Amino acid sequence: MKSEKEIKQACSSPDISVKIGDLELKNPVMLASGTCGYGLEFADFVDPSSLGAVVVKGLSLEPREGNPPPRLAETPCGLLNAIGLENIGLDAFLKQKLPWLMERNVTVVVNILGSTLEEYQRIAARLSESSGVHAIEVNISCPNVKKGGVAFGTDLVQAANVTRKVVEVSSIPVIVKLSPNVTDICAIAKAVEDAGATAVSLINTLLGMVIDIHNRRPALGNVFGGLSGPAIKPIALRMVWQVARCVGIPVIGIGGIATAEDALEFLMAGALAVQIGTATLVDPLASKNVLNGIVDFLTKNNYRNLVELRISS
Amino acid sequence: MAVRHDMNARILLQEEVGPDTFLMRFEATVISEYARPGQFIMIRLCGYEGHDPLLRRPFSIHAADPDKGTVDILYRVVGRGTRQMSGLAPGMALKVLGPLGRGFSLHEERTPVLVGGGLGVAPLLFLARHLKGQGGSVILGAVTSRQLLRLDAFENTGLDLLVATEDGSAGVRGLVTGVLDNLLKDIGSHHARPAAVYSCGPMPMLKAVAGVCMEYAIECQVSIEAVMACGLGLCLGCAVKARHDGYVHVCREGPVFYSDQIDWEQL
Repeated sequence: MKSEKEIKQACSSPDISVKIGDLELKNPVMLASGTCGYGLEFADFVDPSSLGAVVVKGLSLEPREGNPPPRLAETPCGLLNAIGLENIGLDAFLKQKLPWLMERNVTVVVNILGSTLEEYQRIAARLSESSGVHAIEVNISCPNVKKGGVAFGTDLVQAANVTRKVVEVSSIPVIVKLSPNVTDICAIAKAVEDAGATAVSLINTLLGMVIDIHNRRPALGNVFGGLSGPAIKPIALRMVWQVARCVGIPVIGIGGIATAEDALEFLMAGALAVQIGTATLVDPLASKNVLNGIVDFLTKNNYRNLVELRISS
Repeated sequence: MAVRHDMNARILLQEEVGPDTFLMRFEATVISEYARPGQFIMIRLCGYEGHDPLLRRPFSIHAADPDKGTVDILYRVVGRGTRQMSGLAPGMALKVLGPLGRGFSLHEERTPVLVGGGLGVAPLLFLARHLKGQGGSVILGAVTSRQLLRLDAFENTGLDLLVATEDGSAGVRGLVTGVLDNLLKDIGSHHARPAAVYSCGPMPMLKAVAGVCMEYAIECQVSIEAVMACGLGLCLGCAVKARHDGYVHVCREGPVFYSDQIDWEQL
């Protein structure tokens, strides 16, 4: 039998679990792809199993070596990057990285990318049959690699096609990560919803550039890069608000979230969960602090769960 | 996994030691205990709730004193981050993450030769103090004598100190590579212990040092600088072309590399 104190505590501690399709996350804080390696690089700072999920570095079928340097440029309150989707490839991930994550009971979401529909489908099929992978996040929006996802993410038909191909072969939830570099993000969101996506995550980075005036040339080896960090938060929040009001599937908010207050804004805008990206690069403990801050806020303000945060209009 | 910490570190000393160049000492007990020569730290201005400048800045560990629990860095004001840093006074705090990266591999059976250019002396003082009692030499170079940094500190390490300036205002007129060439020739013909070269400085200098070492078939380690975001191997931003395959990442596989790991032609 539970003591009175235990019962009282159970009643007062808010429910922060989240469901994305059949997948239950213990809390709404995820780590964004490309900012947490393969989930094990900074486990001495944050236990990856304490988070809702870890979205590992985007994987292609074959390893990719990435773009020539410079790959980074700092901007006001932001970071411009053109890593070029460098990754170890699907096989190396399954053999070298996944067992470690499984051993530690980490909820693993694998971000995938491809240059053809078939490549996306082959990776999804392999991941779907690997135990230890809990969901797939489809990168249809990375603006960095010339042969990469840019055509898929900015075109309604292509976005729907790649979603359908991945969903066809997947027995685990399929999250489609949307590009903000489009005219009408709701149209794309609806297209991938109709094609069977379990959820959408947004936003990926905004296409931008920096010029090095001393050398009179673009600062990045790739000329253009993806802008992330606090600078993009208002844009991301606006898009999450819009998409949450035009689709019925869960929305995962991403874009410049560095504090619990930032995350709460996204949850109020209609996001079911959030991903922490660039903030982890600045402060490896950011995700832990965001999670603790969300729980404190809910408790202090007597919210019983995350859905109660949502602004309904 | 290596022991790494993110800590609030109180500034103990901030001293201008050269043109726009500062020596900063702060209290960071755990980092001072675990730091190895060649490793680095990432610094964020503390008590600062804004997001600009957003990223931490990487600095080689210039000295570490585990008895006093202190860590030193040597830095030059080159942009917004370092300009703000140079305005901080003792007593204020910084957020310091470290120790990070792969440092120098020490070869005690060889005669150490340290080669530093300009601000590249930063990691070499820590190394020189570790090598105390093993003999060997340190070659420091700069454009002009005013830019030679920390000469007195290097003199106290017990290594033979050799200086080169491009304008001849101190030491030998010329480049460090000229002095290195003569020294390696001498070590090759007079010493039983072969040399091991440890170097840090601008990329063109490192490339030239690597070239001299190759001529004498001497093992050479170089400490490389790159723009970084995380310092932890998360973002893969600090890539440098590898000699054999793809890229190496300065924060994780480095910042110290064997010179034959790097594709010097692509730099």
